[in-house]
Amino acid sequence: MMLGPWLDYTVNGLIIGNIYALLAVGLALIFGVANLINFAHGSVYTVGAYIGWASITFLHTPLPITLLLVIVGCGLLGIAIERVGLRALHGRSRIAPLLATIGISLVLDQLVQLICSPDPRALPNQLGDRRFQIGGGTIGTLDILIAGIGIGSAALLYLFLRFTKLGWAVRATAQDQDAARQMGVDTDRVNMTVFAIASALGGVGGVLVGMYYNDIDPNMSFDATLKGVVAMMIGGLGNVPGAIGGGLLLGLTESYGIALFGSSYRNLFAFALLILILVAAPNGLFQRRRETPPEPLTGTFVARSRPVRLPPWLVAGAVVVAALLPLTNQPYLLQTLTNGLLSALLALSLTLVAGTVGQISLGHAALLAIGGYASGLLALDLGWPVDLGVPAAGLITAALGTLLVYPALRMRGHYVSIATLGIGQIVALVILNWTGLTRGAMGLTGLPPPEIGGFDLTSVRSVYWLVLALVVGIALLQARLLSSHLGRAWRAIREDDVAARSYGVDANRYKAMAFAFGGFGAGVGGAITAHVYSYIDYQTFSATLSILALTMVILGGLGNIVGAILGAVVLTALPEMFRFAADYRMLAYGLVLLLLIRYRPQGLLGTV
Amino acid sequence: MLDRRSLLAGAAAVGVASFARAGRAADAPAIVGVSGPITGPMAQYGAQWKASFDLALEQSKAAGGPAVDYVFEDSQADPRQSVAIAQKFVNDDRIFIEIGDFSSTASMAASPIYQRAKLVQFGMTNSHPDFTKGGDYMWSSSISQAEEQPNLADYAVNALGLKKLAVLHLNTDWGTTAKNLFVKAAQDKGADVVATEAFLPGEHDFRSTLVRIRDANPTGLVLEAYYADAAVIARQVRELGLKQPIAAVGSVYSPKLLELGGDAVNGMFTQSNFFPDDPRPEVQAFVKAFQAKYGRAPDGFNATAYDTMNLVIALVKQFSATREGIHEGLAKIKDVPSVVYGSMTFDPTTRRVAGAKFERLTVKDDKFVLWDGTKPNLG
Repeated sequence: MMLGPWLDYTVNGLIIGNIYALLAVGLALIFGVANLINFAHGSVYTVGAYIGWASITFLHTPLPITLLLVIVGCGLLGIAIERVGLRALHGRSRIAPLLATIGISLVLDQLVQLICSPDPRALPNQLGDRRFQIGGGTIGTLDILIAGIGIGSAALLYLFLRFTKLGWAVRATAQDQDAARQMGVDTDRVNMTVFAIASALGGVGGVLVGMYYNDIDPNMSFDATLKGVVAMMIGGLGNVPGAIGGGLLLGLTESYGIALFGSSYRNLFAFALLILILVAAPNGLFQRRRETPPEPLTGTFVARSRPVRLPPWLVAGAVVVAALLPLTNQPYLLQTLTNGLLSALLALSLTLVAGTVGQISLGHAALLAIGGYASGLLALDLGWPVDLGVPAAGLITAALGTLLVYPALRMRGHYVSIATLGIGQIVALVILNWTGLTRGAMGLTGLPPPEIGGFDLTSVRSVYWLVLALVVGIALLQARLLSSHLGRAWRAIREDDVAARSYGVDANRYKAMAFAFGGFGAGVGGAITAHVYSYIDYQTFSATLSILALTMVILGGLGNIVGAILGAVVLTALPEMFRFAADYRMLAYGLVLLLLIRYRPQGLLGTV
Repeated sequence: MLDRRSLLAGAAAVGVASFARAGRAADAPAIVGVSGPITGPMAQYGAQWKASFDLALEQSKAAGGPAVDYVFEDSQADPRQSVAIAQKFVNDDRIFIEIGDFSSTASMAASPIYQRAKLVQFGMTNSHPDFTKGGDYMWSSSISQAEEQPNLADYAVNALGLKKLAVLHLNTDWGTTAKNLFVKAAQDKGADVVATEAFLPGEHDFRSTLVRIRDANPTGLVLEAYYADAAVIARQVRELGLKQPIAAVGSVYSPKLLELGGDAVNGMFTQSNFFPDDPRPEVQAFVKAFQAKYGRAPDGFNATAYDTMNLVIALVKQFSATREGIHEGLAKIKDVPSVVYGSMTFDPTTRRVAGAKFERLTVKDDKFVLWDGTKPNLG
């Protein structure tokens, strides 16, 4: 085979890998100290790009000044995120800050969009564009600068952590926050410093990448976070030099993936690599020795609290009111509640997996997609009646979902979250690319409406009743399971995996059972959604829905069945309630979410 | 301090108020319901719609036209929200026609609700071939790709003389449909399609994809993409050192292409059904008015939205501002003046408009100009 193109693919992989590395360094730094995957990192990167754009456009600054402004601006933003958004959540639980970063990211993205308009903007390259011939292609000065800043900052950070007093304080805080504080380390200051450095780096990354493509827009955050997290994971959680290697390896994998199979498979390769690394070398590729992962071994990942005990008559009364609601003529309200209840099917599934068993899944919407496509294809291709197809879709989802998540079963804490995030992306990409089965990007059109015994359910009212009945049924079943020995085994695994195993609980088997039960409910939910919409494609159940589902579950209280339903209905209704706020709607939603996390991190009804 | 109870109580009060707004008295002014993205990843398109709707209504009002107004509900182009909006609209007696949503994912999920309620869903951007098959209340003025792609193929293959083509397309229902139709048309005209590559929305790194394309040795590249993607692709094509001419579908036509693409888009060939320098009087009037109100040149999305609101006004004038009136009117109305089509008449069986005009354009000195017939140098 010719060497020529492979040299080009390698160079291209390294160039894009550079960008991932720059993102991953900041994420790794924050993870190392705060033990937190900062989902707002991509938003800081976007803010950095816009600060650069504004200073070039309005102040006509030369490159060094532009970069300085970005560093200062994003550094301050990082400090603000730590001080205002996260410090108050300290020591409550691991999951509250994670959720807070998701909320902060939402708010930042919305602010950028409101201030700078959603239009893409050109960000002119101030470096001049000298290009050097390498192989069949060229690299420019900007490519070299991006690589220089990535590697240079990683080296500087390495030296800083190793040889300065503040660096020692950072490492001490990373190892044991309480012990560090006892030794007189001002851990708040350490956290703040780390957020400032990481955010400044993220912002610089945003500007440089924006210049590289000459295109910035307010929606570049999510992809940036996603690729940065994957790169960091490959390098090893919290491993700063490893992040560089992780980024480059990710870039190379994508590039070779494109070379072999074409560009629509690039992300499939990226996420397959992620899963492979997580299974084969969960500490990342660049850990020198096998250290125990910096993860809580006991249940500190989930907040402890006393659940709010709702009297049974209140719950029963609420169900009766909900069942009678269609008699008032409020179709918009009913549709919103139906959407909320369909989300509740997903939330019930996730609250079992994440709350009761402690496996925080960030790819749960994939179960809806599997259910929707299974039922849709059974109806369209095999002519199955919908009332047979929907339960069959539930079973298919249970089986397929458990199988897919199988590699993640022996993982803990953040590793599960990232693995499920990857699996969720893989499912969406397979749906998109397996055109022969799923019709690819065209989606499934003309799906028949839900039916029972040959009667089509087309009115809002009848669909609402159907979904309500399903939610109540599955909730009762789940409550029954939780009070059985199965529920105790699940909670034992959550509280202390090792202890549970040493008592003879086969943890993997019980986790698989939770995913199977949860998969059934979510699959049925996805199937009904598909038939109500009559059209689904690979974007109908997107990654943002997975994150939304997690916020629903945490908002309701992890593991709390009534809480999950409440969280789903509230978070579906909130954006509808804020319609009066028009352009500010999602900003208001993000702020309310942040307030809820701040004042009620254990969820509305508390963790069970 | 704001505690949970007062927060929730406040939210609930707001909620009840907002849910109760639907379905008010019928004697209020006639209202067009618009479902589209104002926030989220597609927000830029919603903003473009708004600009054109406001302009069209302002002009109609100044000319003493009928009292029509619109409400714009933000769907984020998300099906969960577009179905809720659909319920809100169909149960609001003031609303006599619905426009949107932007993406097929969101539009087609809401179609069954509009169809059952007998409210016309006018999908002005919904080119998915199955959109109007959702029922006899689904209508669209979107340019049919079945019409545009053979035109583009003719431009690329016959006029520009590109016989070995590589196609890059957006991996969505629109991009895939466009690619399939283009490939078929180009092959019918005797061209070879040596590579097709799909990319995801939002993707920015095309270097490795372009290496694949380079090694397939095409004489020309064809882009089935929107302007932002096309600009990024064109820059990387030139950075890689590829000199082949690029031809692109009409949706790249936007002043933003020039801004984002810079030098790299010079020499790009495209066609547009809307071109501000088009001497037709309806185009000139629109461009002048838009420029005066917003201080910038309109693009194709602006033109489509402007046409649509004018169509609604014409329907109200000739028929009535009622749901049935609109449904009957769309089948009967003839030769509505249009920036995009010259004049619009719907085919009552496909519920789409035929006969879009395509101007052949090229980018020269950072401006779109009419193509002067010079073939590119294929050296």
